[in-house]
Amino acid sequence: MHIPDGYISPASVVASYMVALPLWFIAFNKLKAKLDEETLPLLSSLSALSFVIMMFNIPIPGGTSGHALGVALIALLFGPWIGFLSLSIVLFIQAIIFGDGGISTFALNSLAMGFAGAFSASFVFERLKNKSYSYFAAGWMSAVASSVVVALVLGIQPYIGSVDGKPLYFPFDLSVTLPALVGSHMVFFGVVEGIFTKIAIKVLGKLEPKYTKNLGANV
Amino acid sequence: MKINKIYYLVFGLIVLVPLGLLSENPAWGEWDMEYYEQKLGFVPDGIANASGTTPPLPDYSVPFLGEVSGYYLSAIVGVLLVFGIFYVLKKAIKR
Repeated sequence: MHIPDGYISPASVVASYMVALPLWFIAFNKLKAKLDEETLPLLSSLSALSFVIMMFNIPIPGGTSGHALGVALIALLFGPWIGFLSLSIVLFIQAIIFGDGGISTFALNSLAMGFAGAFSASFVFERLKNKSYSYFAAGWMSAVASSVVVALVLGIQPYIGSVDGKPLYFPFDLSVTLPALVGSHMVFFGVVEGIFTKIAIKVLGKLEPKYTKNLGANV
Repeated sequence: MKINKIYYLVFGLIVLVPLGLLSENPAWGEWDMEYYEQKLGFVPDGIANASGTTPPLPDYSVPFLGEVSGYYLSAIVGVLLVFGIFYVLKKAIKR
């Protein structure tokens, strides 16, 4: 789901940065209030986990692969704004150092995997808080919501960026991107994200119970 | 000194990271040029002309290192950068 450079039109690049910049600003102010001696080890470790878990590529039928994001875990423990910003930091490193995801598409990738992922996870978790499957559901939702954003933005590129019917940027429209991306995330990667979120919370609760005590009974 | 046990979790996942190499499949949408050539008969201009700057460790590989050791080193570099950025942010914020 890391969109490379050249996949979206210049106007889409500008639009994505215009949406992301104020959100990063708000998120940074939230981080200011939360980042201290106490929270630094946990938040940097969770972000490191997000970086590493994205290296576990899982093949699925149809010749493609994908991975978990680790965004729901951060959103549940620190709130969606911090989840969004942490993922943005991870995606920035991936784009600059490893060429995973473009630099022009960094804002879009942050909005999809960071913003949509973190806020959808928090939204679902708040509503299911006392259910045993709330962690799984939050993780599943975060991956699916991210895939919806990516599918929509990629899928409109043929309409806004074609010359004489020949696409200049991403060439497949919504009828292709929605089933391929959202479908695979509903069936496979959302499930992986859900299981990762659930296990990570469980292990974290065992290793350092202080970190999960605010989440409620079902840790 | 008491070590925060969450670091074990990060360390454990790094140890397992070569498992991520088992899949040869690319992520959906992250194809190389030949895919478009085959599927469409051409590569869309924007994709063909995307900026050609090569990142230091392209696709989590390290020059002169094998696939697995390069993947390990990439994981370690990435994790250290994440910790570094958060450390700097904390220093900057609490001034």
